[in-house]
Amino acid sequence: MTHARNLTLAHLWIGFIAFAIALVLGVWQMWSRSPLPAPFLTASTYFSSVTAHGTAMAYVLTTFMIMGFGYYVAETSLARPLPAPRWAWIAFWLGVVGTVMAVITIFSGRAAVLFTFYPPLVGSVFYYLGVVLVVAASWIWCVLMIVAMGQWKRANPGRPVPLAMFATVANAVMWLWTTAGVAAELLFQVIPAALGLKAQIDVGLSRTLFSWTLHAIVYFWLIPAYIAFYTMVPQAAGGRLYSDTMGRLTFVLFLIYSLPVGIHHLLMDPEQSNAFKFLQVALTALVSVPTLLTVFTIGASLEIAGRLRGGRGLFGWIGALPWERPLMLATGLSFVMLGFGGFGGLINMSYGMNAMVHNTSWVTAHFHLIFGGTVVIMYFAIAYTIWPSLTGRAAPSLAAQRTQLWLWFVGMLVMTLPWHYLGLLGQWRRVATFNYADPIIAAWGPWVIVSLVGGVLLLVSGLYFVYNLLQFAVTREAHVPAVLYATAVHPPARVPAALNGFRLWNVLVAVLMVLAYGYPLAQFFVIDPPGALVHRVDQRR
Amino acid sequence: MDADPRDRPFRLWASVAILAVFAFSVLFGFVLLPIIQGRAAGIDAFTSICRALGLAPGSPAAPQPVSDAKAHPTTRVAWSAGLMDSLARPSAAGASLAGACAACHGKDGRSVDPKLYPDLAGQSAAAIYKQLSDFKSGSRKNAVMTALAQPLTEEQVVALAAHFASFPVRPLPPAQVAAPAAAIERLVARGDPARAIAACNACHGDRSGGPVEAPRLSRQSTQYLAAQLRAFKAGERRNDIYSRMQSVAAALEDSEIDGLAAYYSNEPL
Repeated sequence: MTHARNLTLAHLWIGFIAFAIALVLGVWQMWSRSPLPAPFLTASTYFSSVTAHGTAMAYVLTTFMIMGFGYYVAETSLARPLPAPRWAWIAFWLGVVGTVMAVITIFSGRAAVLFTFYPPLVGSVFYYLGVVLVVAASWIWCVLMIVAMGQWKRANPGRPVPLAMFATVANAVMWLWTTAGVAAELLFQVIPAALGLKAQIDVGLSRTLFSWTLHAIVYFWLIPAYIAFYTMVPQAAGGRLYSDTMGRLTFVLFLIYSLPVGIHHLLMDPEQSNAFKFLQVALTALVSVPTLLTVFTIGASLEIAGRLRGGRGLFGWIGALPWERPLMLATGLSFVMLGFGGFGGLINMSYGMNAMVHNTSWVTAHFHLIFGGTVVIMYFAIAYTIWPSLTGRAAPSLAAQRTQLWLWFVGMLVMTLPWHYLGLLGQWRRVATFNYADPIIAAWGPWVIVSLVGGVLLLVSGLYFVYNLLQFAVTREAHVPAVLYATAVHPPARVPAALNGFRLWNVLVAVLMVLAYGYPLAQFFVIDPPGALVHRVDQRR
Repeated sequence: MDADPRDRPFRLWASVAILAVFAFSVLFGFVLLPIIQGRAAGIDAFTSICRALGLAPGSPAAPQPVSDAKAHPTTRVAWSAGLMDSLARPSAAGASLAGACAACHGKDGRSVDPKLYPDLAGQSAAAIYKQLSDFKSGSRKNAVMTALAQPLTEEQVVALAAHFASFPVRPLPPAQVAAPAAAIERLVARGDPARAIAACNACHGDRSGGPVEAPRLSRQSTQYLAAQLRAFKAGERRNDIYSRMQSVAAALEDSEIDGLAAYYSNEPL
């Protein structure tokens, strides 16, 4: 590693500091919603806290984690220095400045608009500019990743790009497409309103633009976990990747089917028509293809590892896997959470069932299980896996890492399973307090407290994670370099150009986006619907 | 880059597969499903396809329901960007009309008898406009104000609201009353979920996300605020959209009404 060592450490630390602060806020929010009296609770503190929690978790932790991990993958998988490291540092500082701007604005009580913005609510422009800076930083990262892959391909004509880098660039390309929606919403609608240049916002348009981003952003967060599944986990398990091509197809399918599907977040919205909702839900169903490809491929890779380690019989190979290794353990726990979360997701994308759960805690539980569970536990595992090579020190205690991962898993299930159930009972999301004197709502109380206990476990686990990373500074044992990326059972000597680059897929994404989002967006300009009055939350009335 | 002829079949079939799935979804969602749903609801195929696409209003699966219900609006005020814009601009017309108001509300919006007449100084133009419009339309009734408001034109209502909103709020009197009870502060900041009382400051606080017409309560007299809460409680005043204030006031104890009125009349800014 030439530049990545410091870059990755800096990015990951920023992400994890934001994560630790957001965890504390998250627990306080659950406490507020519970029957137990929470301190500092008013409607405005609650919604400021939710805004900070969402912004830190969804924009800061993820973006810094993905950027940092991307630099690491670029140098380690391509075995060459990162191009233009100066730009990487510029992007880092842009992101830091943006984060600080957003956080200060939120905590001064001028941006309680929640992290998905909810126009016509409009907060201080500094909040939105802060978020835009973080996104701009990630755009620089995207370009650097694409350039790094391009340089490698020119230096290695005809050879397949290493899968880890191919996937990282798939994520970068997807992210450029993804952010177009939210960038248009912020730059053309929300920020002009925040500056006082516009008195009205077409909320239908802004919700549609945000939906453009809203599904694919989750895959942006998810792909590092999938990179670990395909390229690191088979190695950690002591086996080989079952199929390199499956990996490429998976990442390509994520690129294609994470984008023209966002209207499934608008099933209960009146501004989009039934036919386009149907179309995008049908395309959403295809996201199950790369997910099942992954479950199958990683399952097969692990079976190879288990049998190489002496596992016998139909299921004996599972027990033979090296579960004492944190990356292996995290993968198992992540798959269990992916299972629960995935089934919940199928319910969310089904129109009739969505109508039942749409504005309830079910949805909050779902995205915490999928993101906080499946994805973040892999962020932990990735950090544990790459930290020795970043710091040059061996892991102080694998047992401590395993305990932390188990705590996270148990906490996440204890928090989200009752939360799903509360959603089915009708508990609203985006609400600060409940009337527990109402006999129906009183019956929710015990389950809310159970989920709060889960939240506390998550806080303990999150802080334990940071502690475990800090322990690397204390240990003296030097890190012994080891192979990080798995070899495929049949390492590809040559892959079709389409699976070694993104030109074809960009064309297909463009076609699908025009067809799936063309009229749903154009209608707002054809019909010219009335706008909603801007409602400021950052000024004295 | 894509010159290798071995790659052509992959590229072709990948594109065909992706576009075929798309075409199937379009055929099913845009054509077949609306026709089948429309047939069951007695809607012709063309109309139901147009409805499914959003080109015509209504559902492709159900005939449009007919309703004879007559609307009884709580208020006739409808906010628009144009209205908000004119409310932000005090004009000479407002100043020349204000003479009639000054007898009670004061020349600079500071009431001559705050116990009976509210201060208009420091109030938002939207709040003044809402109340004056409601007096004019009959949504809110008051012997004096109804008679004064009815002859006003819409432009005059706007001009008056913008005029009085331009004066600064009354300073806090130097003689301070005792600090408010914790229970009152709690109602202001958190409400009481057990009685379905929202926090007062959810709408009346600074930087709240509440409706634009929610008035600023600070520095109005204790007597005036308490009288309004009691009018809401008794159902004598009912120009609040969704009966928000009527339902809150109905749940308040008398002592709380007085406590809240005292709290806001002495609220530091």
